[in-house]
Amino acid sequence: MTDAHGLALATRGLRKSYGSHVALDGLDLSVPTGTVYGFLGPNGAGKTTTMRLLTGLIHPDAGSIDLLGRPFGRRDRHRLYDVGALIEAPSFYPFLSGRQNLRELAANGAPVPHGRVEELLELTGLKDRAGDKVSTYSLGMKQRLGIAAALLSDPQLLLLDEPANGLDPAGIVAMRETLRHLASLGKTVFVSSHLLAEMQQMADVIGIIAAGRLVREGPMEQLLNAEGVVRIRVRSDDIAAATAALAPLAGPEAVTSSAAEPGWLSVRVAPDRAGEVNRALGTAGIWATGLETGNDLELLFLQLTGGEPVASGEGTFFGMAGSRPGSGAAA
Amino acid sequence: MSLFVSGLRKLRRRPATWVTLGLLAGLLALVVVAVGATSNRAGATGPERTAILSLVTFPAAYDEMLTFILGLGGLFAVIYGAAIAGSEWQWGTLKNAVARGQSRSRYVLLTFASVAVVIAVGLVVTFIVGVIAALVGATIAGVSTAGLSDAPTLGRLPEQFVRGWVAIVEEGALGFAIATLAGSQLAGIGAGIALYFGETFAGIFLPDIVKYLPFSVATASVNTGNSPGGGFGGRAVAALDANTALLLVVVWLVGALVVAALYTERAEISG
Repeated sequence: MTDAHGLALATRGLRKSYGSHVALDGLDLSVPTGTVYGFLGPNGAGKTTTMRLLTGLIHPDAGSIDLLGRPFGRRDRHRLYDVGALIEAPSFYPFLSGRQNLRELAANGAPVPHGRVEELLELTGLKDRAGDKVSTYSLGMKQRLGIAAALLSDPQLLLLDEPANGLDPAGIVAMRETLRHLASLGKTVFVSSHLLAEMQQMADVIGIIAAGRLVREGPMEQLLNAEGVVRIRVRSDDIAAATAALAPLAGPEAVTSSAAEPGWLSVRVAPDRAGEVNRALGTAGIWATGLETGNDLELLFLQLTGGEPVASGEGTFFGMAGSRPGSGAAA
Repeated sequence: MSLFVSGLRKLRRRPATWVTLGLLAGLLALVVVAVGATSNRAGATGPERTAILSLVTFPAAYDEMLTFILGLGGLFAVIYGAAIAGSEWQWGTLKNAVARGQSRSRYVLLTFASVAVVIAVGLVVTFIVGVIAALVGATIAGVSTAGLSDAPTLGRLPEQFVRGWVAIVEEGALGFAIATLAGSQLAGIGAGIALYFGETFAGIFLPDIVKYLPFSVATASVNTGNSPGGGFGGRAVAALDANTALLLVVVWLVGALVVAALYTERAEISG
């Protein structure tokens, strides 16, 4: 199921306020069918509010939602029969076992095929503990059960809010493979996550929101190339000359240096132009002592959401999480 | 139908169900057996002894047990109803159902329907436990059990059971609605208990108003003249006649469920 533009999920002008706080301020999302869509944003950007709106838990003040090619409003709860969701923390009856929880949840909404519960317990690696009460489960096990619950009706569209929370590395890899497999079957997976490296490996398309608005959306590869950076290290004495030499290549504002990392210049060009950068320096008689191509999601995220990457050790989240572009290296 | 059956399964496995039933039946059995065991040592004679032994003397014991069950059971029903509704919000299980496309009001009403069935079963089980305990107490006290098969009393029991069930269900619905509005088990239970006892105390000062309030009408609706009626600790309110009270019980019951369903239908679910 999809709309004329091949979108499994679309929002237009979605707005939601809680009192005077505007959580979403005209959000426009376009989620192509059959993709894994990474929905990213800093804390408080409106991700969970969006998830709640998409599942009918709350209602928008303005704007529209199209789910699987059809409008989704207050009276369209049946549209959710083709949607599976894990919103915020997984929620279960603590006095029931994992298996019993899935069976009771299956009594709601779309019919669940016989044997589906056992199949999902197997898929999520919970078979051995399926008969134990959920109150004895670890966070990771509850998360696995939450993913199983989201998959109960074999949905066309899967909405997952921070699905990797509490999962061990093997669980994260298994989840990634499962979600990629679902996308390969033509299903659409909409995932919000803070694990940017994980999203970079998993998502086909990303949308980044900040302060309730979409700040960038598009295919992962295209966005990373467009927002890529080449970092180059030269002698401190050569900084000014190197900046001047690289300006014709990338534009004067695309070449920046940081006092936090003396000798390093950042050139905002596609990573595959690293050779051109090096050649331009060589032509000017300046020899690079280090070169990195950085096009990771973390840098893009920080650029777009206003979290400037700073030198580590300064005691901020961003300082700890995104001090430098990390992928690719050649010198 | 599957949602209703699922609701029953959940309640059957829920510790609160067994704890509530166990407390009610256990307390009744304890009181009745204790009366039988201590009656000969209490020093009471004549009418006083007869009054004490009414708990183990059939057919009067039937009415005494119903009084106990409907009284304490009403309070337990408020707590139980609040626990069931509050946990759906607090644990996020309502969120799961809604996100799967389930109708909110249908979910609420069928969840309460399963509570009503559990209350009916609990009423019958507790009564049977009470009768067995009364037989034990009568044997210990050396009281005849000849009245056990008293036909007129047994003939009245079904009507009293139905009235009692509706009354307790109404009280459970109030707890259910309060916890729905509160969105929390503890807040719902606390508010339910406060309302229960608050109404009793208010009856001292405002009897003409309080007699129309939910717990008072529940008490009055089971007081058909042959039984003393429910009410934990006894309600000192000039009661309505049983049939008018039953009508008002139904009104309060429907009202509580409508409030719970409408509130849930319109609520923003964030848990």
